[in-house]
Amino acid sequence: MKPASPIARAWAVCAKDAAQEARQRIALASILFFAATALTLVSFAIGPAGFAREERATLHAAVLWILLFFSTATGLPRAFVREEETGTALALRKTAPGITVLAGKTLFNYFLFAAIAAVTVPGLSILVGWEIASPGALAVVLATSGFGLTVVSTFLSALVARAGGKNVLFVLVCFPLLVPLLLSAIAATVAAAGGGTAAGGELAATPLRVIVAYDGAATCAAYLLAAAAWEE
Amino acid sequence: MSAFRLEARELSKSYSGPPLFSNLTFTAGPGLTAVAGRNGSGKTTLLKILARLLAPERGRVGIFDAQRELSGEERRGAVGWAGPDLAFYDDFTARENLRFFRRASGLPADDADLGRRLARMDLAAVADRRVGAFSTGMKQRLRLAFALLLDPPVLLLDEPAAGLDEDGRAMLAGVVAERRAAGPVLLASNDARDFVSPEQTIALAR
Repeated sequence: MKPASPIARAWAVCAKDAAQEARQRIALASILFFAATALTLVSFAIGPAGFAREERATLHAAVLWILLFFSTATGLPRAFVREEETGTALALRKTAPGITVLAGKTLFNYFLFAAIAAVTVPGLSILVGWEIASPGALAVVLATSGFGLTVVSTFLSALVARAGGKNVLFVLVCFPLLVPLLLSAIAATVAAAGGGTAAGGELAATPLRVIVAYDGAATCAAYLLAAAAWEE
Repeated sequence: MSAFRLEARELSKSYSGPPLFSNLTFTAGPGLTAVAGRNGSGKTTLLKILARLLAPERGRVGIFDAQRELSGEERRGAVGWAGPDLAFYDDFTARENLRFFRRASGLPADDADLGRRLARMDLAAVADRRVGAFSTGMKQRLRLAFALLLDPPVLLLDEPAAGLDEDGRAMLAGVVAERRAAGPVLLASNDARDFVSPEQTIALAR
């Protein structure tokens, strides 16, 4: 009997995580609660007025990515940590190679990121009066940056899953690795949203190239190191 | 007659303190290999190393089909393992757990086939009950079903009778009798009653 493709096996892991989340709703509830709370506080703090239009564009982009980063940092480490804490990691290790498990969990976390972005971006836009000149360009920036954010976060989750103080460790290791991505994401978001000008938004070539290169490098590193991070 | 065998060469493992075992070398062909020893002698560690769930400090483990050594995914699927540390997804039913592990292994998960496997472990009546609500004995039966899920030629069973009632022990004896005729079965236990005429015994002593 010919075994299923690695993609089908990764999809099985993703579907399992989705089914677990649908029954427990822990990750999604905690992430969305964090995002909603932060969004409300930020909207009251900066409001729709008080800054020049140009300054607001950069501020809104920075706030968006801070919200997305900390929202994902709240939920994504659970990908592998939960398997270790509940003791199911052994069964999973016995069943599938590290790269398959990592791919499946990355896929699920990417969907989770999309759900967070789907709430955060319109929420921020409405609450602080952020006018997005090109929603399409912003969607491309979110999709590419979110991919890098998800790959790195999920891989680090595998790395810290068996360590003590894993949640603190996750954020401490995550932050320096994600700073280049986040800075480029902010620059690309400013351009996509219109940069505070009345003209339409566009995809800024330089930061987008950096983001795509980061995504490629992160994917290669995760692929090469998946077995070392997850298996013995 | 099965041509599968498991070869362990100069295995050593220690945690803190003196080694659990060092330079352990053996070959397990078709039949029952008893792994005996007191609590803390390293039986569970040895079986995890053989299942590639734990890395030895030194030495290597090979699974052979006649003269050909298995590698990669072929090797992963060729070894079934069940141990006291094996846990399942509490929110899923027994059937859902087995279905997921079959699919993650890259094999089809036919409902009728899963039903037969659960019935073999006398779990048919609770197949669609959440594993979180299972008793110790029922979880142990599910561990056995997991070990046999891919029909592996090599079987590693760590304290498989723990928590089983008389019917469960009889079912286990039947599984071991059937599987030892088909390939290597390595069984670790503190209870000598679990070893029925083993072909060889590996005695771990620390």
